[in-house]
Amino acid sequence: MQKENILTINGLTKQYPGTLALSDVSININKGEIIGLVGENGAGKSTLLKLIMGLEQPTKGDMQIYGKKYNPKTPLEANKNGIGMVFQEQSLIQNLSVSENIFFGREDSYSKFGFVNKNKMNKDAEEVLSQVNVSGIKTSKKVFNYDFATRQMIEIAKVFYVSQREDEKNSIILLDEPTSVLSEDEVKLLFKNIKKFVAKGDSVIFVSHRLDEVLEISDRIYVFKDGQNVCELNKENANENILYEKMVGKTASGEYYKLNRQVTPSKKELMKIEKLGLKGYFNDISFSLHEGEVIGICGVIGSGKEELCEVICGDKIPTSGTIKIHGEEKVSKEPYQSLRNGILSIPKERREEAIIPDNTISENISMSNYSKIKLNGFISKKKEDEQAQTFMEELNIKAPSIFQKVSNLSGGNAQKVVFARILASDAPILLLNHPTRGVDIGAKEEIYSLIRDLSEQNKGIIVIGDTLDESIGLSSKILVMKDGTLTHEFDAPSDNKPEQLDIVKYMM
Amino acid sequence: MNTQNGKSQIALEFSQEMERINRKTRLINTMPLIILFVLVFIMSVVAEGFFSLYNFQTILSQLSIMLVMSMGLTFVILIGSIDLSGEGLGGFAGAVTSLLVLNGKNTNNFGIWGILFVIVAVTLIGILSGVIHVKGKMPSFMVTYSISSIMAGFAVLSYKGQPAMIKYPFFTQLSQGTFIGIPILTWISIIVFCIAYILQTRTKFGTYLFAIGDNENIVRNTGINIDLVKVKVFAWSAFCIGLAGVMGAVRIGRGVVDIGVGIVFPAITAVVVGGTSLSGGKGGVVNSLIGALIVTIINNGLILLGVSTYIQAAVQGIIIIAAVALSVEHDRKGICK
Repeated sequence: MQKENILTINGLTKQYPGTLALSDVSININKGEIIGLVGENGAGKSTLLKLIMGLEQPTKGDMQIYGKKYNPKTPLEANKNGIGMVFQEQSLIQNLSVSENIFFGREDSYSKFGFVNKNKMNKDAEEVLSQVNVSGIKTSKKVFNYDFATRQMIEIAKVFYVSQREDEKNSIILLDEPTSVLSEDEVKLLFKNIKKFVAKGDSVIFVSHRLDEVLEISDRIYVFKDGQNVCELNKENANENILYEKMVGKTASGEYYKLNRQVTPSKKELMKIEKLGLKGYFNDISFSLHEGEVIGICGVIGSGKEELCEVICGDKIPTSGTIKIHGEEKVSKEPYQSLRNGILSIPKERREEAIIPDNTISENISMSNYSKIKLNGFISKKKEDEQAQTFMEELNIKAPSIFQKVSNLSGGNAQKVVFARILASDAPILLLNHPTRGVDIGAKEEIYSLIRDLSEQNKGIIVIGDTLDESIGLSSKILVMKDGTLTHEFDAPSDNKPEQLDIVKYMM
Repeated sequence: MNTQNGKSQIALEFSQEMERINRKTRLINTMPLIILFVLVFIMSVVAEGFFSLYNFQTILSQLSIMLVMSMGLTFVILIGSIDLSGEGLGGFAGAVTSLLVLNGKNTNNFGIWGILFVIVAVTLIGILSGVIHVKGKMPSFMVTYSISSIMAGFAVLSYKGQPAMIKYPFFTQLSQGTFIGIPILTWISIIVFCIAYILQTRTKFGTYLFAIGDNENIVRNTGINIDLVKVKVFAWSAFCIGLAGVMGAVRIGRGVVDIGVGIVFPAITAVVVGGTSLSGGKGGVVNSLIGALIVTIINNGLILLGVSTYIQAAVQGIIIIAAVALSVEHDRKGICK
């Protein structure tokens, strides 16, 4: 039986500066279907959802809903067309009541002479909530009084309500990682609700890193890899192994990652992490970092790897466990303290966290190491500039001069400035969070060489790669995290690298 | 199976963590009220004459102008902005009022119409500040501070030299009159509080205030005209400032520009001590009422204790820092500007 088609996506492409986030993706969504989207981080799932919701505009391609051209510019327009999305980060206003949140922006239908009839609103909100089988919520209470899972159900109820079409045709709801912080019972309730929606003819797009859940709930599954939709599987043809295989990305050559220069780590321990935990994010993480070692941490979003890095670089305070540096226990409450303890980090969001865009290359390089360029207590501009000149040549930073503002540099060159800052500092432990994000291929290779240089200088490096392949290529040891725990440890010597497939199995 | 347990473990801890933060938030939300009671208790014990009907009347009288001004500021601060135009704009309102009602300087005698004219004019200036702020994309503190300077200048120009003495008998009645033991000016401030409370809780305008302060993107994506809401907020704030300025003139009996001096900071303090977050999205007019009471009682108590004016200011500052420290969330690692 041919099901009625609701949404058709044709050749959708999204090009960001430096990266092709989505490439020629075509999918169909039929009435009453649950579609699973799976793929590694950065495979293009989130970009696709953003395009469907009108949060971003496609570079190429088009969409049709009920046979009509669909090109949303805002989420509001998407809602009017019957498409709603439950975001990973909840979008409820904490200090408004449940009903005010549900009918947010639609108060006029409850207003008389400018006064909102809150009683009627609260009653109707109960009605909306009963659609998702949530009971025991007082709709006049403020949202912050409810726990995370309840808030999520409120949000789902709201999204269903706002994406009803005027012509009463069926809607499509996009769920982005809805289960990542839910307990098993809560997931069961969510699935029960999803099934109830589709029984009425609505459709759901379910994005998750949890393959078992995707397999359980989806009618059809699309697998994404490197911005492309690489395969479509029906429920009956899919199993975890097939999905793993389809998901893992291409493997680049050993030369690309400068494997011949991979250092065999020394026995000398730089940092020892023991039973480290951050309540609600990760637990019981232990490992050691040695001189010359590159440790890659792999895991999906929500696995706790980002938070682990934040704890190591002093941005968050651990709730349990210890960090020892050179055998001595160190506590850092702020990043400057961990820098003093010898840990320097390259943050993920270069533009927001790593560079001062309106300062010059020279000033940006000297930021973490003023002690070296001091003269009688003042900054010696001469020393600062000499230092910058040296790094500019050494790292091949392409800019007219060291007095160029960093905001005028390309992503790759800006990142090299950040690396120059690391090289200038004497920190023995480096935390590289997505060091090649938004960097073109040529600059990527140069950054890989730099990482090899650093490990030849006996620095200990922790890296979160932009892709799994990158993590494998760069690291001499790989730690895999899932649900806040360390699930596996792989040795990755240059002549015996683990397969992506093996690692993915411990990630999802 | 093992990983499934891991997931449950982390999910459980996560919800425990959220619950802990919620409990803390609830405690912090009730803090201003606790501080108020503790203050009343301490003052009753240490300051002779504090716990008396006469003194309560004094407190209510001292409270009135600040409360009116803080009602305007509450909405501005709820959306995450600030309005510093109170000094100049309030002074302007008082000065011009004194020249429009029966006074010793000119022959004007517009009575109540004069007052209405002033409040409408000041409200329009508030709309202007709001428009400059949202359309010119200029920080609200800069815009409103400049407006304050400009209007202070106009105020002094308006009376050229000596400020006018007010001879309007209605003003004398207002400043000295009481109704069931409560000063008329205080009744006016209570009415303003009620209007603000209704705006906050019973209109969509009130709903949007919290939402804009919490997350503007959500509001924008819902298709709401944020700029319009903000302009309305600045209009409301200016309305309150205008009223406070007129009330100042009523109390002093002269249209001197200094009416506005020294009321903006206590009013902002009242809002913040009451628990309205300076970054917006949290708090409200009930909080500000409590905050205004706290600030007034500190003032009043120190006077009763005979603390010298210079030390008074210092002690006031210390108590305010302590009160704010107790009523804001320190957990969040946000950037505090």
